[in-house]
Amino acid sequence: METHHFHFKTRRHNYPQVVCANHRVTTSKSNVNPSVLRLHNYGNPTADLAKERAVSADETKRPSTGKFGRFGGKFVPETLISCLEQLEVVFHQVLQDPEFQEELSTALNDYVGRETPLYYAERLTAHYKAQNMGRGPDIYIKREDLAHCGAHKMNNALAQAMIAKRMGLTAVVAATGAGAATGAGQHGIATAAACAKFGLSCTIFMGTADMEKQPSSVDLMNLLGAKVRPTAGSFKDATSDSIRDWTEKLGEVYYLAGTAVGPHPCPTMVREFQSVIGRETRRQAAEKWGGTPDAVVACVGSGSNALGIFHEFVRDPTVRLIGVEAAGFGLNTGKHAATLAAGEVGVYHGAMSYLLQDEEGQITCPHSVGVGMEYPGVAPELSFLKETGRMEFYSASDEEAVEAYRRVARLEGILPALEASHAFAYLEKLCPTMPDGAKIIISCSGRGEKDTETVFNYPIS
Amino acid sequence: MAIAAAAAATSPTTARTTATLSPPPPISSSSSYSSAQLNFGLPKSTARPRTTAGLSISCTMTRDAAAAVAVTEKDDSDPALWSRPDAFGRFGKFGGKYVPETLMYALTELESAFNSIRNDPDFQAELGGILKDYVGRETPLYFAERLTDHYRRPNGEGPHIYLKREDLNHTGAHKINNAIGQVLLAKRLGKKRIIAETGAGQHGVATATVCARFGLECIIYMGAQDMERQALNVFRMRLLGAEVRGVHSGTATLKDATSEAIRDWVTNVESTHYILGSVAGPHPYPMMVREFHKVIGEETRRQAMEKWGGKPDVLVACVGGGSNAMGLFEDFVKDKDVRLIGVEAAGFGLDSGKHAATLTKGEVGVLHGAMSYLLQDDDGQIIEPHSISAGLDYPGVGPEHSFLKDKGRAEYYCVTDEEALEAFKRVSRLEGIIPALETSHALAYLEKLCPTLPDGTKVVLNCSGRGDKDVQTAIKYLKL
Repeated sequence: METHHFHFKTRRHNYPQVVCANHRVTTSKSNVNPSVLRLHNYGNPTADLAKERAVSADETKRPSTGKFGRFGGKFVPETLISCLEQLEVVFHQVLQDPEFQEELSTALNDYVGRETPLYYAERLTAHYKAQNMGRGPDIYIKREDLAHCGAHKMNNALAQAMIAKRMGLTAVVAATGAGAATGAGQHGIATAAACAKFGLSCTIFMGTADMEKQPSSVDLMNLLGAKVRPTAGSFKDATSDSIRDWTEKLGEVYYLAGTAVGPHPCPTMVREFQSVIGRETRRQAAEKWGGTPDAVVACVGSGSNALGIFHEFVRDPTVRLIGVEAAGFGLNTGKHAATLAAGEVGVYHGAMSYLLQDEEGQITCPHSVGVGMEYPGVAPELSFLKETGRMEFYSASDEEAVEAYRRVARLEGILPALEASHAFAYLEKLCPTMPDGAKIIISCSGRGEKDTETVFNYPIS
Repeated sequence: MAIAAAAAATSPTTARTTATLSPPPPISSSSSYSSAQLNFGLPKSTARPRTTAGLSISCTMTRDAAAAVAVTEKDDSDPALWSRPDAFGRFGKFGGKYVPETLMYALTELESAFNSIRNDPDFQAELGGILKDYVGRETPLYFAERLTDHYRRPNGEGPHIYLKREDLNHTGAHKINNAIGQVLLAKRLGKKRIIAETGAGQHGVATATVCARFGLECIIYMGAQDMERQALNVFRMRLLGAEVRGVHSGTATLKDATSEAIRDWVTNVESTHYILGSVAGPHPYPMMVREFHKVIGEETRRQAMEKWGGKPDVLVACVGGGSNAMGLFEDFVKDKDVRLIGVEAAGFGLDSGKHAATLTKGEVGVLHGAMSYLLQDDDGQIIEPHSISAGLDYPGVGPEHSFLKDKGRAEYYCVTDEEALEAFKRVSRLEGIIPALETSHALAYLEKLCPTLPDGTKVVLNCSGRGDKDVQTAIKYLKL
């Protein structure tokens, strides 16, 4: 495997060349190969899906390495490699299969409620213009909060449940946070719902710390017929446990990745299924103002909703892609989840990407008021977009996010999930810099009814 | 337009009947009312509404329907010819405007404003745009495959079940369709202040939501008992910028909140619009709320045509006040081949006295400005209803439902708390959709309905709201 050619060094020790998790890779500028920074592995994200799928068709002939530049890959035990390769083959098959696409499209429309609207936020726009003598950008909100189960997670869960059925598997396993990388247990809930719909049995691993934080998520999953298995710790431990479970039951169980992290092909699959968001957005923007957005803003926990909306616009140089991470109590407090801002490159959960690690290469515990942001890693594809400079990334603190939640509630009657509130918070800094009439699209990745209590209890400064 | 035609078709003088008991003192226009008067729960055997010069409109209600001396209009079996409502806001003998004099002008003004926007392309375009981009319409008509399989008989036959997904609307229920329409209407009327009543909070949240969206002052009346049970909803309304006022009179629940809201409206009628949450209340509300919800049925007709090239055979909806049901039914009332089925709450059971099955166990009277069936005791006092679902916990019902029942156009059944909880769990497990407990009543009725339906019957059930709000209640009872 390609990975064996890398030397892993940490500041203090020379580790042997063994593929496993949590290695910190320090790269000096001379180590970075410019040729690696080409936009490799990108299909054409425009509506020319046939072409993209033709590219995929080639890839069915040989499994790919799943790299985005130097990020991504398949850093997994040997036992999982053949499983991942098989998954990749099926993935490319379904991309080409008109019946599958038709069934998926119907389910996305009738079950999930797509397409979600692109909503002109009149009062939010006026609010920012009023602060700047009546001049400012026009703000549009992509309403993923209106999807069934209240978040974008469903787009992916549905498609993967269908893949599981196609592979003849009747059981699904997944990991969820109180949200970590998944939005307040949203991935667990979405997976449980999709499994109920398709008659698959569903086991969700959840960290006990998270189960305490969001007991209502556990109730919802139980109600939907899923079994929730507790793991000591939080999302990262739940993920490890669920992967372990998968390894034990290969061939019987389907591992449903909730976000664009993990070993190839998971990041690509999740991004592909979420990219419906961006495709719709392009079409809706064209209808509404005959053009493309000037900036697209999305919160970044692990990155699935951001990739879902960004992917379509990666090749449009006039579209700024802005990711907003969680600064928690502040970037200098160590209690945050701003992986791209403060992380370093390493391998985690099977992929190379930025991650929050200490000097020993141990994963640090992230914090955010938006539990879906509390993932110490980030999608490898986003790491790639950061490194190539295609994407800008900033962060918002807990306080700014809660402020934004209240602001959007008061001005638009929409309760955005606390995760999405981070993106809304960034508007405070962004709008004054944008020219009059510029078009900003902000991804409202989930609804915030689940966060009302947190906001209720949040101390007001 | 329907109203003008109705006025021509119905002669008001046919309504004159005798009053069999001396009437209570006529309702004057002074602004201090005791809650008993404002409940408009008049003694069962008579009502004496306002009379206007030259026109006497009065009705007799007796236990024995056959003793009623005259019917209010010529009997007619073609639903397309029914006046729904007529010029006086009546659906047959139901409906009307049993309100204090100070409100008459406001109601008339509201009615004219509503009639003017009905055909106003600008208003309809603005409303349509908001429904699409803000609320998320149109909502899908979803083929519930596993639910259909569940009801398939051993020989493979059974009806096809479709769910109209009003649960996917912004705020998670159908309520917002009406809230948006009314707030746009209020803006057109130049009103800056909006009031509403709420029980568990759904309508309150919907109202607060639209007021935030349009920047209007919002005051929600809520029973103090309900406020305690629904603290999070109270907070939500406050987050959305609304003021929530607790009502402590009576049983401190929905009907008291409604009375308080009406009292506020009487006092502040020039500046204030009252967003009534259901197809109840005085004319023009039952008609207006129905009109704002009828998009549900209109979409359903189009979607049914796309999906199977025909109409639904049976429409099923839960009935509390009746707005989601009227929204689904309205477009199909004149289609006699479409069965309309409403499902009310039987609570602990019809014999327990703890239920909200107004159309099954109620008797005709006047509540909150309209004549309709209602749950009342021998003294004409309102009986406190019970249902595990707050939205169905209303002692009255929209007058149009009373009318459709008496005409035999719609059928009404009821379902207990327990059956509703079972359905809540069943649909969650079979379809991954958690329905509101209110909706679960309609879903529960499928158990009795489906075995009677021929193979391939198309059933459309209004999934009027999502059940996230009910998970804690359900878990308690279901012991999962």
